[in-house]
Amino acid sequence: MKRKNFTRRMLTMTLCAAMSVGMVLPAMAEENADAFEGIDTSKHEVINMLVLGNKPTNGRLEAMLEKLNEVLTEKVNAELELTYIEWTDWQTQYNVQLLSGDSSMDIITTATDWLFGWENAQKGAFLPLSEDMLQTYAPKTWAQVDEAGDWDICKLDDEIYFIPEDHYTQYVNHGLFYRGDWAAEAGLENGDVKSFEDLDTYFSYILDNKEGVIPFDATKNSGAPCHGYLVSNTDNIEFTNVYVGNYTFWFGESVDDPYTVTSPYMESDALYDAADLMKKWNDEGVWREDVLNYDGDTREAFYAGTSGSDQHHSQTYYSQVKPNMDIKQPGSDVKMYYWGEDNNNVSKPLKTHGAAAISAWSEHPERALMVYDLLRNDEECYRLINYGIEGTDYIVTEDGKLDYPEGYDSSTDALGANFWCGRNDDLELENSFNWEGTDDMIANYDSFAFEYPYEDLIVDKTSIEAEQAAMANVLAEYLPQLYWGKFDDPHAAIDEMREKLIAAGYEDVKASIQADMDAYVASKAE
Amino acid sequence: MKKSKSGAAVMKAPKKPFLSKVKDSRVLLLMCLPAIIFFVVFNYCPLPGVYMAFTNYNFRDGIFGSPFVGMKNFEFLFRSGELWNLTRNTVLYNLAFILIGNILQITLAIMLNEIGNKWFKKVSQTLMFLPYFISVVLIGAIAFNILNYDTGALNTLIRSCGGNPIKIYSQAGIWPFIIILCNLWQQTGYGSVVYFAAICGIDAGMIEAAEVDGATSWQRIRYIILPSLKPTFIILLLFALGGIMKGNFGLFWNLVGNNSQLYSTTNIIETFVYRAMMSQNNFATSSAVGLYQSVFGFVLVMFSNWLVKRIDPDYALF
Repeated sequence: MKRKNFTRRMLTMTLCAAMSVGMVLPAMAEENADAFEGIDTSKHEVINMLVLGNKPTNGRLEAMLEKLNEVLTEKVNAELELTYIEWTDWQTQYNVQLLSGDSSMDIITTATDWLFGWENAQKGAFLPLSEDMLQTYAPKTWAQVDEAGDWDICKLDDEIYFIPEDHYTQYVNHGLFYRGDWAAEAGLENGDVKSFEDLDTYFSYILDNKEGVIPFDATKNSGAPCHGYLVSNTDNIEFTNVYVGNYTFWFGESVDDPYTVTSPYMESDALYDAADLMKKWNDEGVWREDVLNYDGDTREAFYAGTSGSDQHHSQTYYSQVKPNMDIKQPGSDVKMYYWGEDNNNVSKPLKTHGAAAISAWSEHPERALMVYDLLRNDEECYRLINYGIEGTDYIVTEDGKLDYPEGYDSSTDALGANFWCGRNDDLELENSFNWEGTDDMIANYDSFAFEYPYEDLIVDKTSIEAEQAAMANVLAEYLPQLYWGKFDDPHAAIDEMREKLIAAGYEDVKASIQADMDAYVASKAE
Repeated sequence: MKKSKSGAAVMKAPKKPFLSKVKDSRVLLLMCLPAIIFFVVFNYCPLPGVYMAFTNYNFRDGIFGSPFVGMKNFEFLFRSGELWNLTRNTVLYNLAFILIGNILQITLAIMLNEIGNKWFKKVSQTLMFLPYFISVVLIGAIAFNILNYDTGALNTLIRSCGGNPIKIYSQAGIWPFIIILCNLWQQTGYGSVVYFAAICGIDAGMIEAAEVDGATSWQRIRYIILPSLKPTFIILLLFALGGIMKGNFGLFWNLVGNNSQLYSTTNIIETFVYRAMMSQNNFATSSAVGLYQSVFGFVLVMFSNWLVKRIDPDYALF
């Protein structure tokens, strides 16, 4: 009996250890095929793709997948499944999903700015992709990215870790959407908000004249204007791919001196002014008193006319908010005041704002690449995954633009496949729903925005982990309160925060990132 | 020879070999098996994973392949300067939960026992039981709808009576009361059942004898019921002390969320670990905090058991 128990315990323990370690790397299948057709696809495979977003429940996704899978089965004998990371606590869920070493996952949506791409590559969540493999199993993608010379920005230690969504135009710089009609009533020239002073005028006007409207109905997850204030009022360039906790904290000095690491949160007096303004707004009631606990749908509030503004990036503005507001609040003349409008502090988007990685535990990475290659480059597959089924989910107008069938409402009828890791301008249909000023807006950005200088800067976090964690802890305590004007004496709070950040090891981390930056500049110079 | 509480001499059982003891109580052991398996699988098997707290963990190398970094992960705890605050909050909240909770539970159980009307007794018991089954997520939502500044029920009431609304979600000082209140509301009904059962188990003859002797109901409670509840109380207290470093994570998280204005009085170890993991993706540091929590909890259990043993060995757990 004793021995039996002992054996069983040992077995269970070994099993558990094996499961928790779970580091069984997939055996590489033989790579003997040299063309897409010559590859052995006799075994039917299910390819699972991790996407971000709330899983739609209107049945349209399933209908599309059924059709798409017919095509994929015929072409590469595979079918696609989608696994969703829903927006509630998505950062935790995403990282935990990658950590779990789930071998059923194949294609992973990632990004170097908002989805911790480098961190997860460093932690070994992704499979290194050899050039051979890419050329064999994703030849069209390989050629497209290679032509743009973008493989280098996906390399960590000389190995490619993801496929960039580099052939897709979008601006994802953040800002505030406001109503031009009310801005004009507030006495702003042409109804334009051009600075934070104008914004103040706009908010005050709403407070005084629009009963029942919250000037900026924000939630605990809303992007904070305070951060935008720093972008608009310093020349510092934010690092969108290096974080402290969840905060974009590190910046480069300026466009003329991009490779000196700094942080306005530590070094700029603009933070004092920003904090004063936020306190003023909080005291006046520009947002809800309980903004830090509120999680209602404030975009719908903006559509319903009970919020005076909404916060997100340009792509959301021209593809969703502007056209929807034109329908739901005709004459509202929604405009966007983007952070950095005052001083042209806007960088072109990262090419890895969307990227596809193959899971390190994928059991069939080759087939996953083949499926990805089709989704990105095959017109039929591309339209299915991005737009759905022609006739019910979308229609193509006579002049070749994308439109929606009669009675279609994007709030309830959206396809929601969220393929954000391989959109392709060559196959993208111009969306007639988008605001017609979209092209001008993008052209305007293109005219002055600077190239993002830190595309493939990889910060070695291992030596500064403890310091960064301590700093993140300080920021998590102070920033939400600074952002939403909750401190009675913001200047004292800032001084206190800065002292604590220094105690947490700010200088060491800064020096370490600066060293990485110097090495990065040196490698660029080669 | 050893003397038991009642003073009777007890003969020490002759020492039996382990195997035959197992054989003798095989049925009992079999009945225990599910619980044993549960603890082995969920509490003992993951133990080697504690090693993660001493590594710079990465996915590819796994727990035991990742580079060893010694106490570096614990530095974070000290650097953040939060350790004292977290420990204090955790312990104080738990003391409040345990002490106030037990007193209320005992009081309720006695009150229930004194109620003669069977129908009323059943209904009130059910009503008290109900909050236990409400999810803390809902409690968080209900609390927000009552307490928020702009549209909350409480502040709307204050406003319509002409008073000044209270900014509850920015006043850290109020929150210990709110959290303790929510916890008591949720747990008291459930906990009182255990005491109620203990009261039902008291020898009816004793109570009858007291009645015959002319004891008032207050005297019955004071001299018979309360002393009979003492062993139950002490055992429950010891169990609760073992969990003193744990919190009621769901309740705290759903009531407070990421509202950093309230951290000073509401941050407990578990919410701290969760927030650090959520924003840091840092599993090693989180394990470090978890290990600290466990070690501290272990020391506490050993200490309280030792203390009880010194006062009255019969009540000690082991």
